[in-house]
Amino acid sequence: MGQPDIKIAAEQQKPDQNANEERALSVFASEKSEDLTALVMVMIVTFMVLLFTKWLA
Amino acid sequence: MANVSVGRPDNTPTWIISGMLLILGVLVSSGALTGLLTTFKVHKAMDLMQTMCFVGGGLGLVTALLRQGRMNKPMGKLDIFVLETIPGILFILALAMGIRWFAEPMVKIMSDSLVPVLGFKIYKVLNLNYVVLGILVGIIITNSWGIPKFAASGVKTARFVLKMGVILLGARYSFAELAKLGMVSVWLIGFFVLGTVFFVLFLGKVFKQPKSMTGVLSAGMGVCGVSATVACAPVVKAKSSEMAYTIGTILGFGILCMFAFPTIGKLAGMNATQFGAWAGTGILNSAQVAAACLAFNAVDIKTLKVGEIFNITRVLFLPVIVLVLATWFGKQSGQKLSFKEVVIDKFPVFILGFLLLFFMSSMGLFSPPGHYKGKYLDFSYNQRTEVTPEELTILQKAQSDGIPGLKAEEQSAFDDLVKQHQIAGNFDDREDKTKFDETARERMRGLESMLARAKGGDLTLSKDVKSAVKHATKQVKKKSKTVVTLTDCMIWFFAYGLIGLGMQITRKSLAQAGGWPLVMGGISGVAKATLSFIIVMYFVKDVVLH
Repeated sequence: MGQPDIKIAAEQQKPDQNANEERALSVFASEKSEDLTALVMVMIVTFMVLLFTKWLA
Repeated sequence: MANVSVGRPDNTPTWIISGMLLILGVLVSSGALTGLLTTFKVHKAMDLMQTMCFVGGGLGLVTALLRQGRMNKPMGKLDIFVLETIPGILFILALAMGIRWFAEPMVKIMSDSLVPVLGFKIYKVLNLNYVVLGILVGIIITNSWGIPKFAASGVKTARFVLKMGVILLGARYSFAELAKLGMVSVWLIGFFVLGTVFFVLFLGKVFKQPKSMTGVLSAGMGVCGVSATVACAPVVKAKSSEMAYTIGTILGFGILCMFAFPTIGKLAGMNATQFGAWAGTGILNSAQVAAACLAFNAVDIKTLKVGEIFNITRVLFLPVIVLVLATWFGKQSGQKLSFKEVVIDKFPVFILGFLLLFFMSSMGLFSPPGHYKGKYLDFSYNQRTEVTPEELTILQKAQSDGIPGLKAEEQSAFDDLVKQHQIAGNFDDREDKTKFDETARERMRGLESMLARAKGGDLTLSKDVKSAVKHATKQVKKKSKTVVTLTDCMIWFFAYGLIGLGMQITRKSLAQAGGWPLVMGGISGVAKATLSFIIVMYFVKDVVLH
């Protein structure tokens, strides 16, 4: 009885494992922190670009 | 995937890359490469090249020195997040620089020289720009030598940087562009965009394909090819290989359409507007739409204009599609979620960023609100917008001699150009900007139509007149420096991100995805082309373009 259970559990884990592998391809702890950091960085870039090409130009 | 936390990789590659960047910087600033860079038509980027080489090289040297000093010490946060990541970042950056400034121009030159043999520009047809080249380079590296150990940590930043690119994508479009279209066009485009997305999602269910792949393919097939694919991939958590397959399917299907559409259109006896609407709806890649329109009719400028407008408007549906996909993906994940939960908890934050920049762009923060990709028309009275006195003499002479074969709207546009020395609305309407601009746009279309017909051999214009009219139309086309710079940043983020994503595409992952994206993309593409053909033939007689 024990073996099929393990097999089922292993199969259920497979998608999770794949997701985790893809997830591991990031330096960030979570999706949200990755997104927020990207947003903050872009805001800085946008501000700098506006500063040099519009407001100071 | 190499795990960096197990010991520190060797420091030599960091020294080598930094050295190479610094040498390139010195060569560029000394002027030794100016000839080569001019041949490659990238000499305008020399300042940027120097800056990037010196900053990158300097950063690399500092990193290498710091790493050298900490080689035998335990790793702290500074090591994991900064020192171990920088070598990989520099590695991808160096590759991105190589692609943008050397590989892409080389492909262009080679494809130009192949035109006499093939009859078309292969880089345009296969869309061999930095996007595709970046992914290809990444795939080649990972499947031949594997990701170098020292770069493994840096590769992990790829998706993050790609997201930055997607956010910046929002700055290129504005809502006013959508308002310019007639309601018929908006309904038609909206119907096909959403219809294709749902159709692909349905096919995915029928063929029992993973939802990440179905999701990314539906966005790619429905909206507008590569940029939509890149933007939606993180929303549905698509794997890099699924993204690569989607891009391949879109471009491959587009190539077939590009050759088939003009022939079918001619056989069916479509008029210029109908074909433009059909090509703009059925073909995904904008370069391929332009090629098909020109192949169908090089004389009537309307074909290309309608085709381009139908094509670009799809991108404006991107925020809607993202919302739909985020909702669908949230629901598919198993839990029963309310719409509110999906929007607040599951909605990707970076897409909010995209919407924010789209909103800022629509408000006119970067460029006048009516812009598209930073380009806009400025008809205001300005000395710089006028034709030169010599050109004016030529135009006056042509007017008095008369140009045979001009249509009424072309003649009136030409007469007004001679009268006002520039393309503009009526002087009396100058207080009413909308009316002024509308008349000016009409005149612009008249002059563009003259040029297109002259190019197609339908009208005879002397070389001088042609060049003067061309100059006049060029003078009113302005480009926002802000949007151009933001676009440059976006291109760099995309190039960087896509090389990194390409490095995550192994042969195994490609085999796992199988040929299903091709099958599903093919079915939905043919269905869309057929349906849009019928609709366009029966319902679109003439699209109203304002």
